[in-house]
Amino acid sequence: MIATIVEGKELLETVVYSTVAGVGITVVFSIAIWGVGRFADLNREERSLAAGAAVAVAGLALAVTAAAVVIGIVVMTSK
Amino acid sequence: MSSDVILVIVVGTALAFDFTNGFHDTANVVATSISTGAARPQVAIGFASLLNFAGAFISISVAATVANDVVSADVITPTVVFAGLIGAIAWNLITWWLGLPSSSSHALIGGVVGSAVAAAGFDAVIAEGLVGKVLIPALVAPILAFVVAGLSIALIYRVVARQRPGTVTRGFRYGQIVSGGLLALAHGTNDAQKTMGIITLALIANGSLAANADPPLWVIAASATAIALGTYSGGWRIIKTTGTRIIKMDAAQGFSSQGAGAAVILASTHFGFPLSTTHVINGGVMGAGAAKRVSAVRWGVAGNIVVAWLLTLPAAAAIGALAYGLTRIFGTGALGPVLVTLASISLIAALFARRAQKGAPVPASSG
Repeated sequence: MIATIVEGKELLETVVYSTVAGVGITVVFSIAIWGVGRFADLNREERSLAAGAAVAVAGLALAVTAAAVVIGIVVMTSK
Repeated sequence: MSSDVILVIVVGTALAFDFTNGFHDTANVVATSISTGAARPQVAIGFASLLNFAGAFISISVAATVANDVVSADVITPTVVFAGLIGAIAWNLITWWLGLPSSSSHALIGGVVGSAVAAAGFDAVIAEGLVGKVLIPALVAPILAFVVAGLSIALIYRVVARQRPGTVTRGFRYGQIVSGGLLALAHGTNDAQKTMGIITLALIANGSLAANADPPLWVIAASATAIALGTYSGGWRIIKTTGTRIIKMDAAQGFSSQGAGAAVILASTHFGFPLSTTHVINGGVMGAGAAKRVSAVRWGVAGNIVVAWLLTLPAAAAIGALAYGLTRIFGTGALGPVLVTLASISLIAALFARRAQKGAPVPASSG
């Protein structure tokens, strides 16, 4: 009876999408913080190439996070 | 004339519910930002108020879902809506008084179900909608947020393990501004629409609007304003419970619980499962605490919250049924709603006066 009331597939998809989005975005944002932290450390050690790579990772992670937020708002406004 | 008086009372009561929804529910959205120091209390509350106001204008597609899918539209009258709202407001105030985060959405659904049952018997309830759209999501959403926040914080701690604490804390505090904003916007979109739906249903039941009509602009604007004002008015007791009494959280935990909450709400909304932001954010907070250390969660406080969740639907339904019964003692005219409104206002004023005598509630500045 429960299966006829709630679409099992939709519920499962909700679980999967929530998990992937929730875990994915928070981890990607933490990578951005890691990148900023590494940039500061490597810059202090005057390892400019590695510092540049770290800040690039941070920038990319921030861009992915920002894109995910925009997608979230689009999903919300199109419901 | 009499039906117009009842309609005015219903609109006023619905906006009062929306106001209580604002100060009761949105506290949960900003609590983690405030408790981790990501935002100063007044800034967080003001930001959440603005985003709640904006969120209310984003969509009107789910405005009538609450009543359409839970009770039969045939039994909806302005008096049934009025009694349901009294049930929801009363339960919101009781749980606010006790400092317990409970769901305003479920209080509204419970109140309307109770008053509809009192008016037309159990046949008035659409069991499929109540189970499929309210009860099952009510169970799944907080557990999902608990798991997602727990997984997130476990991975986050691994990623930033060797970084300077100051950099990590500052970073996650910035992140919380965005994650908290998303939650506030989602709250405004979902919860203000429930009030819009209730007012629209009352207008349709009164013959003031055609069946299946969209909420008029004044209804949207009034609902948005009421929930934003309610948000700005505080809800400090619940902020304290969610922000500090379940776990003592750091910025990373605050961010992961808000991120998990936003992801669960958006995914559920996309698939059409209505849920409570209160349940989701509290599930996320508990998950973020338990993943760090199970004993970090004050399970006694968490247990009280779970009891409030379980009681919300039946308690609001019982009060809604009682309010309907009291209203009908005075016939089908406006006298019943007028007297019940006056009695409710007197009771609330007496409670606040008693509270003022014993000592003021947690002041805003104590955030």
